[in-house]
Amino acid sequence: MAGFIRKNKRSVVILILFAFLFWLVTIQVKNGRFPFMEKPMLAVAGFFERIIAAPFRFLESVGTRYVYLVRTERDNERLKQELVRLQIENSATNEILSENERLRALLVFKKQNPPTAITVQIIAKGNAPASNTITINKGSDDGVEKDMAVVAEDGVVGRVQTVLPGTAKVILLTDPGSTLAVRVQRNREEGLLEGKLGLCALKYVSFYADIQVGDLLVTSGLDGLFPKGLPVATVLQVTKHEASAFQKVTARPIVSLSRLEEALVLRK
Amino acid sequence: MKPRYYLGIFLLIIPVQASLLSPLSLGDIKPDLVLALLFIIGLLSSPWEAALAGMALGLLQDVSAASLIGLTGFTRGLVGLGAGLLGRRMFDVTSPSTVLFLTAFSLAEGIFIAILLQVFYGSVPFWNLLFTRLLPQALYTGLLGYFLLQPLRNRKIVLALKRRDIQREL
Repeated sequence: MAGFIRKNKRSVVILILFAFLFWLVTIQVKNGRFPFMEKPMLAVAGFFERIIAAPFRFLESVGTRYVYLVRTERDNERLKQELVRLQIENSATNEILSENERLRALLVFKKQNPPTAITVQIIAKGNAPASNTITINKGSDDGVEKDMAVVAEDGVVGRVQTVLPGTAKVILLTDPGSTLAVRVQRNREEGLLEGKLGLCALKYVSFYADIQVGDLLVTSGLDGLFPKGLPVATVLQVTKHEASAFQKVTARPIVSLSRLEEALVLRK
Repeated sequence: MKPRYYLGIFLLIIPVQASLLSPLSLGDIKPDLVLALLFIIGLLSSPWEAALAGMALGLLQDVSAASLIGLTGFTRGLVGLGAGLLGRRMFDVTSPSTVLFLTAFSLAEGIFIAILLQVFYGSVPFWNLLFTRLLPQALYTGLLGYFLLQPLRNRKIVLALKRRDIQREL
């Protein structure tokens, strides 16, 4: 045995490391996630994200304009330059209009929920394949706290997971670690919505409950984190198995999480 | 690969993936730079080194994304090991056809994670995930890998990056 281990030392070390990582995962599934490294990582990653994203946007705009200029033919150079200028202006105007629309919608939402909302911008999106998180540009300095609800004008986005003075990590609805108490708006059936990567699963819904494709799920307020009645997701698929006491319900979030640029953090 | 390359990768990969690749996302689908880079590390180094690099990169991703710590480390370790074993058996690691393996690895990792989540939490909408997320993401990652492989087609770069033992084999 000792000879075998000595002979295959590297393989054994790798095997032990794999076993250790798997054990680590099972421990967290049983007892909850480890939060100990989240804050230092958020501090480092948030710093780099801010630094990297800004010049990238600048280079992107410079690069686009340069490509336009190189391709411009001599005869119609002036016309093309004019076109480029107009296109940039048009694009900028559209961007402002689009931002204006989004902010107006947020403002309406903020008026409906008067004293409690902090407007935030999304500065980065999570990158691990088994999780869905975003980083926002406000933190404890602005009043953001752990477990605060994050919403957009259409509905629920997620909840605050880790907070630093100038930034915070938000765990999205679709993250496997996210659970949310919801009810079906049509018939008030209750369930627990869990994240399943890009989608969600409504759990603990009785076999006999009337759930239909297209039903709107809203927050029930029973978890104490989200106000009651916020739109969360629509039912995508319902599967019933005779052997199970519960239905298998798949839902898609109302908010387009991949296109999210601004959101509101609701104070408790 | 030299430690300073790894240091650079570890420092920059998470913010680059989180910020720079966001504009490239199509809906929910975003190319996985970490996986593509790990695949290339695997092709150019030994399986053990690639497995360790995969574990380290995965752990870094887990911690930065507030995910289950160890899950991505575990799957990325397997991808690194697989890419390392593949790299030893390929005649030309810079061939564009290697991106097919990258696509397959990306898809296999996604399926493996979905299976693990089903085992741990249940109710994973597997087929929906497969066709709306895992498969498109694997194809997109393969495409990114193709562009990342282009600079490596210059033989000097490959030789500079390859470990001495692999060079001896060639």
